[in-house]
Amino acid sequence: MTIVTGKTEARARLQPGWSGVLRKIWEHRADYAYVLPAIIVMLIVIAYPIYYTIELSFFNTPPGLQLRDKNFIGVDNYTAILTSEVFWMVTWNTLIWTLASTFFSFVLGFATALALHRDFTGRGVLRAILIIPWVISAVAASYIWKWIYHSDFGIIGAVLVGLGLADRPPNFIDSVSTVLPSLIVVNIWREFPFAMIMMMAGLQTVPDQLLRAAKVDGANAWQRFWHVTFPHLRNVSTVTILLLAVANFNSFIIPWIMTGGGPSNASHIWITHIYELAFGRQRWGVASAYSVLLFLILMTLGYFYVRALSGNERKDGSA
Amino acid sequence: MTRITLGGAVLRGTVSTALMASLMSASALGAPPVDLSKWSPEYVRSIAGTQDFDTAADCAKVTPLDYKGRLTFWYQGVFEGDPDLLRQYYKDFFETFRKTYPNIQLEEQALTYNDLLDKFRTALLGNAAPMAVRLQILGGTEFASKGYLQPLKPEDVGYSTEDFWPGAMKAVTWEGVTYGIPTNNETMAFIWNADIFKRAGLDPDKAPATWDDVVKYSKQIHDKLGIAGYGLVARKNAGNTPYRFMPQLWAYGGGVFDEATANPTYKKIELDSPQSKAALQASYDMYVRDKSVPVSALTNQQADNQPLFLAGQLGMMISHPSDYNVMLDLQKKATGTDKDKAQTVIDNMRYGLIPTGPDGKRAVVFGGSNIHILKPEYVEGGKVDEPAAKAIICMWTSPEWSLKMAYAGSNPGNLNGFKTKWMKERLDNIKFLDVTTSMLPYGIPFPALPQSPEIMNIIVPDMLQNALTGAMTVDQAADDAAKKVKDLMGGGL
Repeated sequence: MTIVTGKTEARARLQPGWSGVLRKIWEHRADYAYVLPAIIVMLIVIAYPIYYTIELSFFNTPPGLQLRDKNFIGVDNYTAILTSEVFWMVTWNTLIWTLASTFFSFVLGFATALALHRDFTGRGVLRAILIIPWVISAVAASYIWKWIYHSDFGIIGAVLVGLGLADRPPNFIDSVSTVLPSLIVVNIWREFPFAMIMMMAGLQTVPDQLLRAAKVDGANAWQRFWHVTFPHLRNVSTVTILLLAVANFNSFIIPWIMTGGGPSNASHIWITHIYELAFGRQRWGVASAYSVLLFLILMTLGYFYVRALSGNERKDGSA
Repeated sequence: MTRITLGGAVLRGTVSTALMASLMSASALGAPPVDLSKWSPEYVRSIAGTQDFDTAADCAKVTPLDYKGRLTFWYQGVFEGDPDLLRQYYKDFFETFRKTYPNIQLEEQALTYNDLLDKFRTALLGNAAPMAVRLQILGGTEFASKGYLQPLKPEDVGYSTEDFWPGAMKAVTWEGVTYGIPTNNETMAFIWNADIFKRAGLDPDKAPATWDDVVKYSKQIHDKLGIAGYGLVARKNAGNTPYRFMPQLWAYGGGVFDEATANPTYKKIELDSPQSKAALQASYDMYVRDKSVPVSALTNQQADNQPLFLAGQLGMMISHPSDYNVMLDLQKKATGTDKDKAQTVIDNMRYGLIPTGPDGKRAVVFGGSNIHILKPEYVEGGKVDEPAAKAIICMWTSPEWSLKMAYAGSNPGNLNGFKTKWMKERLDNIKFLDVTTSMLPYGIPFPALPQSPEIMNIIVPDMLQNALTGAMTVDQAADDAAKKVKDLMGGGL
């Protein structure tokens, strides 16, 4: 029989190097065996493409050659990207797209969630209607919005001209200055229901007795919201914002279908630009370098997302 | 299948003898089945219906009709801008193929013009391509130069190289080797609405003679009637854009390289020449200065211009003869007063030759599609069933099917198609066909270079968009495009 003292336990905990790690793995071998198939699948479908993309980012892939005939060029793809005007334009577009879409989707979603948190007749129906933009196909939505915005015979233009509010239909997606805001509106329309659902779920966790107590103490509606409701929603808000930011950074369908990144690259964001570089221009090397940079950014966002989730768990555990 | 008449049999015998002779000594005895030097609407009418062909019998010599095999096949199929008539012919073709070769298990997949290249490139990277593919004329050289395609010439499927347009054969040839067979070749025409012309104070029966006239007419239509004059298309990654802008560029004496000359070398870049800039300036004048074309031109395709034209909101456009049939299809779907309005437009639809440049030069894109066989190592499963692939290629490029599959919108790749009875029938059924066949001799193929898809689908539309949005001046946009082509040709990143 082994007697485990406080000292030996501490030693085992502090045991440095591989032997300790291997011993732990051995002790948990059954657990590892259960997750092994999933790990193998993940290595094939995630780890290998990531490795190959990183490798490809150091090669030149001229459009007249097959991919296997690529030439090693070191970090030239990264240099070419960082010194190209298009990169900075596309990065600026991506920042505007991501920040504006995330901010407005969240604010609108939160406001709607607050409105729907109250009990009123038809709340269920309204909630169902508001979720529609999020559940319909992004492809279908993009085509519908393309027609709504159409610069010659779009619905908005026809209404404005019909009401005498404009001489000719406004130019939404055929102008370099209006195309990105117009696409952001579509994206917000599609995404705010997600924020709404998340925040509605969060609102249900706010203890009612705290709100009542604050009311008894003379707190007005704004004070109750700011000092009671909002602090309780901090974690769910962080997670929602991070998820929206990652999704927006990765957005492809709406800008690609509605404008293809045009006109004059004015609505190209990173993902659409990467797609065009890879599949339209066959610059697999440059597109891979872009993807590696995007991967690093998303990993950073992912880190904060996991941290936010872990924070939630710790809080939940200590409560 | 075709029934052979006595006269047809005699003719066929004569042609077969000639074909055999040409196969024996192609360079000495090979001659096109039609006299291209006599090409005119009258000549096309005179040869239509003069010869019968037995497709099944011809293809049986290439692949026996009882051959057992399996074939995966991708093709650029019909899309939203095509008439229903063409949809029916595509359906008929695959049904006939299955009846003719009942033991070949055919797995076909139709893709649209704008999706096919991307999907095919991706499949090739994963060695998951189909055994045979029908690609747009622009794509063949790219894949041949990369070594994905097997050498394939008309003689491999029972025809002669001379049976096809010389310009079309250039597009399937890379470094002296032929890698495919043309299925159809097309040239577009100029279409206008005579009623709109009349109301705008223009001669309703006269197409604009020059591109400068197009600019002038477009402005006049817009100023007088408040509708769009010319159907400009400048969307990126859409085949419609180069098909409409390149004729204008060539007519002004410009080009990407020297592709508009008789023997192009593709060495000198011409996109920044004064002539190319003049062509771009004409588009700028219509879009920015006169605002006489659809504002949506930057995100539009031709399929968006069709309803505008049918609604009487567009005066002129460049398109296929099939647009007449598309208008008929759309009119059938209209209701109430819209139906009558659409009928008025159809009654007033006129076709003419594409306008010339300032020096009288007339040009049009020599378009179409080609069919290819892949090398086994790039095909899913690593095997290519060559007899099965040759069977479908023989059938599609036959005089009968190369005509039927191009019935409304294009022209047969196999020149013998012009001699069939279906051509005669087509001349009676498809209005304005004369005009587009008359445009064929003015056809200029896209540069036969692997870089062509990027130049035509991305660089040229980018140049247009940069100028039309004001992101750059006309000069800057042309210079920028020329630099991009130079970088591309130099293998830049």
